[in-house]
Amino acid sequence: MLRRAGPSLRHFLLERNCSAGYSSCSSEAKMSRPVQARRLEGVDKNIWVEFVKLAATYSTVNLGQGFPDFPPPDFLKEEFTRAFSGEKHMLHQYTRAFGHPPLVKILAQLFGKLLGRDLDPMTNVMVTVGAYQALFCCFQAFVDEGDEVIIIEPFFDCYEPMVKMAGGTPVFIPLRPKAPKDGKLMSSADWKLDPAELASKFSERTKAIVLNSPNNPLGKVFSREELELIADLCVKHDVLCISDEVYEWLVYDGKEHVRIASLRGMWDRTVSIGSAGKTFSVTGWKVGWTVGPNRLLQHIRTVHQNSVYHCATAAQEVVAQGFQREFEHYGKPDSYFVQMPKEMQQKRDQLVQSLVAVGMKPIVPEGTYFLVADISEFKSDVPDVPNSDEPYDSRFAKWMVKNKGLAAIPLSAFYCGPHKNNYNSFIRFCFAKEEATLKAADDILQKWKLEKTTP
Amino acid sequence: MAFRHKNTRRIEGLDSNVWVEFTKVAADPSIVNLGQGLPDISPPSYVKEELANVAAVDRLNQYTRGFGHPLLVKALSQVYERVCGRKIDPLTDILVTVGGYGSLFSTIQALIEEGDEVIIIEPFYDCYEPMVKMAGAKPVFIPLRNKNDGNSASSADWVLDPAELAKKFNSKTKAIILNTPHNPIGKVFTREELQVIADLCIKHDTLCISDEVYEWLVYKGKKHIKIATLPGMWERTITIGSAGKTYSVTGWKLGWSIGPQNLIKHLQVVHQNTLYTCPTPLQEALARAFWIDYKRMDDPDCYFYSLSRELESKRDRMAQLLQEVGLKPVIPDGGYFMIADVSTLHVDLSDEDGNQPYDYKFVRWMIKSKKLSAIPLSAFCGPETKGQFEKYIRFCFIKEDSTLDAAEVILKNWTKQKN
Repeated sequence: MLRRAGPSLRHFLLERNCSAGYSSCSSEAKMSRPVQARRLEGVDKNIWVEFVKLAATYSTVNLGQGFPDFPPPDFLKEEFTRAFSGEKHMLHQYTRAFGHPPLVKILAQLFGKLLGRDLDPMTNVMVTVGAYQALFCCFQAFVDEGDEVIIIEPFFDCYEPMVKMAGGTPVFIPLRPKAPKDGKLMSSADWKLDPAELASKFSERTKAIVLNSPNNPLGKVFSREELELIADLCVKHDVLCISDEVYEWLVYDGKEHVRIASLRGMWDRTVSIGSAGKTFSVTGWKVGWTVGPNRLLQHIRTVHQNSVYHCATAAQEVVAQGFQREFEHYGKPDSYFVQMPKEMQQKRDQLVQSLVAVGMKPIVPEGTYFLVADISEFKSDVPDVPNSDEPYDSRFAKWMVKNKGLAAIPLSAFYCGPHKNNYNSFIRFCFAKEEATLKAADDILQKWKLEKTTP
Repeated sequence: MAFRHKNTRRIEGLDSNVWVEFTKVAADPSIVNLGQGLPDISPPSYVKEELANVAAVDRLNQYTRGFGHPLLVKALSQVYERVCGRKIDPLTDILVTVGGYGSLFSTIQALIEEGDEVIIIEPFYDCYEPMVKMAGAKPVFIPLRNKNDGNSASSADWVLDPAELAKKFNSKTKAIILNTPHNPIGKVFTREELQVIADLCIKHDTLCISDEVYEWLVYKGKKHIKIATLPGMWERTITIGSAGKTYSVTGWKLGWSIGPQNLIKHLQVVHQNTLYTCPTPLQEALARAFWIDYKRMDDPDCYFYSLSRELESKRDRMAQLLQEVGLKPVIPDGGYFMIADVSTLHVDLSDEDGNQPYDYKFVRWMIKSKKLSAIPLSAFCGPETKGQFEKYIRFCFIKEDSTLDAAEVILKNWTKQKN
């Protein structure tokens, strides 16, 4: 354990609390010691703060941050209004801390069916403030100082700082692209883990591996064989699997989303994470959940009860109703889980077409509502700056939003520091957007292409 | 191969919790529940209406700004600028969190670590201790003491001993957690009492985490004073508020931390690495409610004032009912809880599990035989003072008249059975 800095060192490490333009502190007593805890070291930077601001300031078409710009399904909006127009004012008060009973019950039913096992709503399911908080609880519950956590690149950016904040060491392994056959577009399926390389990342210090399938940002849907590879290593090394499956319903081309918790030896060591925001196109409601064995969930409950304790009742009530409806319509053509991926696949194809037409090379995603494209053809617009600290794709994305009004996210955002320049000519688009938005994006791209080819 | 995965060190011993047992009671309709701090009164109608309206606005169903929905932080800055008499920047001086609870967590994770000591005043809202421990720090307790030596009519009788408090501060003290109005006693710290704490914070260069979730619930003759407004305190204080307590919507789980940018920025870092954003529709509805009340802050009908008037009569009724059964309630100056010494009833608890503190046994007996629930006070104190507090139980009185009527029936019958 590190010893705390003594009084003499403390005064050395003066926190600067007066910056230019912040005038109110000049005549008052100052807090003179370093205030922040060491667990915040290295986790303060966050790409979204910057890129969300840029999109808000400059973009006319925002395909950046991952949220739909179309409404949630009508049945959900109706439930919401119904719940809060009535006299049920107890919906405005605390519900059960580990999850509103109607919600955990339906989640246990649905996921029990999907995983082929009997789930107890009280002990095998816990509701969280979005999948984000579920991830936080997992890392806090299981990752101690000195533990290693394997993260597959590219990764949803919060995994790395969350592991670090828990005192753990992230160990990265990249998905490696294989060139597609002649004439074909690259698919997210062409990005794979090297089995020998993966095996080499497991050590006695490995506590967990984070799996994200369908994967943000690539859209890769891990096949059964790929998951079995990971599962075998988890079992062999007695490692936990934190399985982020928030895009579980967004799979295309008839692909199957395989739940790693259903593979042999995995139920006991896997926490599966889901999201109402992604499931029902309501990212702003921040309702997520963990599903897993009680011996793992008990520790997640401990973190939860000592951090936020209760999740908002309102959203849980309505999400429960939404799931009830979907459970009854499961597999039927009017199920939202059937319709949504159909619509999204069309949007995917529309964006793919737009990008191909202008010379950006899309990696066709098998799932999620993200698509990564190679922008090499457009590099001439944004000259390289040698010895720049900033990865090329980040500079490109910023230039693009400022000059073309089109917002996207640089792929380097999803790589750890040392690897940010490995794939630096890719950007990520979100296509969970209305017709009009995708058309407007197409217009921008067409105009841009025209400007490039016209002397 | 044996499964080696147990919990991390940071949560060792933090799994049990008074609420796990005593909130189950809320699900049993045959029990009159005066335990958990759960209003069963309705929130004001305009608050409910705003929430019903927001679903119709499509973009409000998607992510908003991580550190707080713009309309909400703007409303909060306006309300609190007025209350504090100083400029508050909505973007840098405020963080919106998942309830006051979430603010406590963000503050402690941001600013407290191993090697630190944190002073906690007993009795305390029970999460302070495990949160401080989860951050790796050491809780240092100091009790409020009944200055009238046994006969306590008012929460104002419970005070800190200044000399005793001063001794708790040392070079390792990182923060003191203040809760005013106080849960469970209902004490509203006076300016003089706050000055004693402030002087020590300044002398020892310590932070103050001020949990003021009950800030609007102060009764006639009392005034809620924000310690952050005392000289030298703004730059070292995080002040915590709660929508749940302000608008009787505990299920909305929205709270906020307000303080100087150089402290709030660290809370924001914790927030962006824990849950990133709070729900949009709830923040929008809350913002709209705040604007309504901000505009009438000069009007006695403003909910910030009308709620405490409504609760004062419930407080007085609760006190009367408890007195009639022979209990001596401590009349709170603020908040919606009331404690009473139950040892004076001399109830035979020999059937209850002997290893438990007196108040736990009493409450379990009372739930079983009287169908009335409350919370044992020893849940709110450190190991050294359990003996001092275990004869008290806590009642919650933010309840509808029908609930208080039902409590009255039980208490009147109890009196009859005794006589």
